[in-house]
Order: sequence, then C-alpha cells, then structure tokens
Amino acid sequence: MADGALLLSGRYGARRRFLPPRARALAARLGQAGLAALGASLLVWLMLPLAPGDPVEMILAARRIDEPTAEQIALLRERFGLDLPLWLRFLHWLGAVLRGDFGLSWRTGQPVLAGLLQRLPATLQLVGLGFALSVGWSLVLALVSARWPGRWPDRAVLAYTRVAAAVPGFVLALLVLQFVVVGLGLGLVLSNGAGATLLLAAVVLGLDRAAGWTQLLRATLLDHLARGPADVARARGAAEGRILVTYALPPALLPWLTAVGVSLGGLIGGSPVLETIFTWPGVGQWVLQALSVRDVPVIQGFVLVAALAYVAASLLIDALALWLDPRLRAPGGPGA
Amino acid sequence: MIGWPRRPALPGGAAPVPGLLAALIAHPAGRRGLVLGVLLAAMALLGPLLAPFHPDLPDYAAALAPPSATHWLGTDSLGRDQLARLLDGARRSLGGAVLVTVAITAIGLAVGTLAALAGGRLETAVMRLVDVVMALPGLIVAFAVLGLLGPGYVNLLVALAAADWAWKARIARACAFEAIRSPAAQVARHLGVPEWRVVLRHVMPQVLWPLMVLATLGLGGQIAAISSFSFLGLGVQVPLAEWGAMLAESRYYFTVAPWLLVAPALCIFASVLASNLLGDALRDLATPEGRS
Repeated sequence: MADGALLLSGRYGARRRFLPPRARALAARLGQAGLAALGASLLVWLMLPLAPGDPVEMILAARRIDEPTAEQIALLRERFGLDLPLWLRFLHWLGAVLRGDFGLSWRTGQPVLAGLLQRLPATLQLVGLGFALSVGWSLVLALVSARWPGRWPDRAVLAYTRVAAAVPGFVLALLVLQFVVVGLGLGLVLSNGAGATLLLAAVVLGLDRAAGWTQLLRATLLDHLARGPADVARARGAAEGRILVTYALPPALLPWLTAVGVSLGGLIGGSPVLETIFTWPGVGQWVLQALSVRDVPVIQGFVLVAALAYVAASLLIDALALWLDPRLRAPGGPGA
Repeated sequence: MIGWPRRPALPGGAAPVPGLLAALIAHPAGRRGLVLGVLLAAMALLGPLLAPFHPDLPDYAAALAPPSATHWLGTDSLGRDQLARLLDGARRSLGGAVLVTVAITAIGLAVGTLAALAGGRLETAVMRLVDVVMALPGLIVAFAVLGLLGPGYVNLLVALAAADWAWKARIARACAFEAIRSPAAQVARHLGVPEWRVVLRHVMPQVLWPLMVLATLGLGGQIAAISSFSFLGLGVQVPLAEWGAMLAESRYYFTVAPWLLVAPALCIFASVLASNLLGDALRDLATPEGRS
C-alpha cells in the first residue's frame, strides 16, 4: 500500500539520516516540489522562441493594434525589455517573481500578480468546494458499494461510475446548466446570487471527479474485506458494517488518497472550462482570455501558480499519507 | 498501485492478432467496447461519404429546423445539417485523438527505450526532464503550449501531445530496463544474436504491449480534451465541425432547439465509453488475475 508514497519519496531514501524519517521524506518532497515549479517556468521560457511571431508583434496583436508607429514599437520593446537575450529576460523575470512581481500583461498593461490575486479566491472557492464534495461523495458511494457487493446498491454505483467516467466535465456542466437549470426554469436562482452558482458548479465538479476515486476505493475495500483481519473479526461475530469501517476502511484509504492527490491536477486544470460555462469570475476564465490572444506574461504567471498549487496540494497529501500509514514512518520501513 | 500491464499469454499459441480479438470478444466489456468502437470508427471513416448535405454550407431558410425526414437531426442556427456536421466532426474529434495517442506512444516508446538502452548520464538527464514535465498536471502543460502557439486545431494536437508524452516515456523506460536484462535477452546475446535483433525481438514487444493498453485507456481522455478545448474556442475554428465546438455553437439556441445539444454530447459520451471499455478489457487480459 505504501507504493504510491514510496514512489514519490523513493530515491532520496539512501541519503545520510540526520533528520527523523518523516521530516526527511517531507523535506525531500519540498525540494522536489520547488525544483518542479522552477523547471516548469523554465520550460515555458524555453518554448517561447518556438512561438510564431516576434514578441512585439504578439503584443500588438494582443492589443489589436493593426498599424503601429515606430515609436510605439520602440516604447513596447523598452517597456517589456524585449531587446535583451532570452536567458537574461528569464533571469530578470525569475528575480522579479521572487520579489513578488509577475510582470505586466501584454494585453492590458496591468500587473499580472494583481489580476491573479483578485480572481484567485473565486477559483479556490469553486475548486475547494468541488474537491470536498467529490471526496465525500466517493467515500459514501464506495462504502455503500462495498457493504452490499453484487446487490442493487453496488450495481447502481458501478453504473454511475461507468457513465460519469465517460462524460467529460464540460459536457456534464453544459447539460446540467441547460437541461436542469434553464429547462426547469431555475434560471432565477442563479441570477439571484453567487452562492447558488458556486454550489451548482461545485456539485458538477464533484460528480465528475468522484467516479474514478469511487472505483478504486471500492476495489480496495473489497480486497481488504477478504483478508485475515476481517475474517478474524467475522469469526468473533462482529457486524459486517463494523468490519467494513474498522478493518477495511483505514488501510484502503491510503491508495485512494494517492489517487486523489494525482488527480488534483485535473481539478485545477479543469477549472477554466467550468468557470466559462457557469460564468464564474475566477482565474480560469481570465487565463482563457489571455490564451486566445497569446498574452504570454499572464500564461507564465498562471503556469507558475498552478504548478505551485498542485505541488503544495500533493505535498499535503503526502504528509497525510505519512501520518496515516505507520509503516512509512517506522525507521527502516519502506519510506525510510 | 505499481505494475503495469504485461503482454498477455494468449491461449493455445494463437497468432497474436486473431487471438487477441477472440479474447476481446469473449470479454463482456471488451465485446461492448469493440462494437461501439467499430461503429464510431466507421462513422469517422465513412462520414463524408454518408453525409446527406455539405457540413459547412449555410442554408438560412432552414435555420434551426427540428428533426425531420430531410434533416434527421435537425439543423443548426445557420441551417447546416446537424447529421452531416456530426459525421464530418467525427474525423476531427476521433481522428485527432487517435493521432495524438499514436504520436505520444511513439515518442514515449522512442525516448523511453533509447534512454534505457543508452544508460548512464544521458538516461539520467532524459528522465529528469520527464520528471519535470510529469510534475505538472497535463492540462496545465497543454494550456501553456497552446497559449504560446495560439489557438488552432493543429496547435491543440501539438499541445495535447506535449502534455502527455512524459508519462509514456517513463513507463517505456521501466519496461525496457527490465526487458534488456531479461533471461531471454541474455540468452539471445550469448547465442551471438546481434544487439539490434535482441532489441527488436525481446525488448520492443515487452515495451509495446503495456503502452498499447495505456494508449487505449488514454484515448477517451484525448477525445474529451479535444472537444473541451474546441468547446472553449481554442481548438477547431469556425466554420469547421467538431463535437465540442458544435456544443459551443448550439448552447445559445437551447430554448428553441434543445435537440442540438443531445447528439454531439451522446457522440462524445459513446467514444469515451468505448475507449474505457476496451482499455479495461485489455488491462484485464494483460493481468494474470483477470484472465480467468
């Protein structure tokens, strides 16, 4: 069961031990996380020369200026530091980012960080609520399914996961919005306040995401129900529901947690689509506008922040796994 | 958690392809996936021949007509036949997904196998690059690449390939690493078989099979991604048809023509379902426990 966490902390295990195993594993992950975020930014910069067109042309296109004067071009070159070589621009950008300056949007000329921070709370609300709902939903469904395997609740849950796994998030969101909200005349509810929109979008996110997690948790629960500890409890006369919660759930949570951590990226990356459909004023919508005119500083800022958010979230999941699984923190254990 | 599908031991020394087909037909999920997949593939391949109307030519007189004997699935806001656009769009939705999947499988196979064969510093360097790409969620990589290249169908395919090759390369390297050191490969080397032949006969098949299973399982995700990005206006551009783009065009006419949303959504659902069913079946066939 430790495979997931082991995979993540793996090759740092052989180093000299000057920290307790748990702290060492986390420190290693923290280092990896920082490197990954830096590497991501570097990759975006390295791809920059591949983008068709001169940066100045891209800025002019982003601002919809058709016939620029030489003066305008010179001003833009100076303002965005485009005369410097790429590696110097990258270093300037990195230094500025470390000071909390993400540069200026090519389209609007506004600071990227301010725009990002202004829209971040809305996105965090949506993703956070959707995440909580999907985690709870998949827990409940998997427990119900594993409690009555082969019976109708199990079959219903399996049918749901089959269908939900095959419906992309945007299709589900669109159909819910049109057929349920508009079709049933619930449109007024949405225009009345952000709360209803948020709840609906989060429910869609939850329904969409829970399918894979439910399948995995159900399979692991059934596996643990067939193992020794559960058999012993059964021989002692314990109720099946109690066995499920006491003997099957705790060990089954770990692989599930790893799967949840892995698909967090999908949750973050999927937000632009949901925000567009539900007209939710978050980061995703803003980035999509930037994307359609190739507003590079905004895209770079988004990639960095999304990478950091993803890395931070998976770090949290790793910490949870360490806390849940005694084998990972035992000296000499698989995680040590 | 770890452990990827291995090459299945097919019954009775059957030739690989017919044997695999028979095994898939015997598998309940595989059978359903196969039927759906063949239907959808036929739709994408024969679509332009079957289409009753031109998919992109507007006919304003017939705008938003409900389903009828002439227009089986009705017409959209510009009077274009929905069925013709659905058939035409299949090539872009499904064909694009197949193209991306083939590309990332080939890149993953090449990078992973070559890294494992080269060993040493080159292998380490390549795998570190893979680590960095994999540390990012695939959708974010796709957004970044698409943001730099600009919207467009070809750019979208490039972005999706850039987002997903690393995962395949890592698995290919792991499988190749094992296969290079396998007893069969070692015996062949001792018998004087040249190394290129060892790679071709004993390494490639061991790498190809797990990648094929993953490719089938991942196909659904690529279909979903292509239609999602096209829905957002970043992929297939107007006036060309694509299932996601068709949903985007139809959503504002929902109150007068709700049927326009049903067919493209169903097509996307059926394609992803077919890929999931086939992938699950292949995975079952490839793991010893699933073969009973």
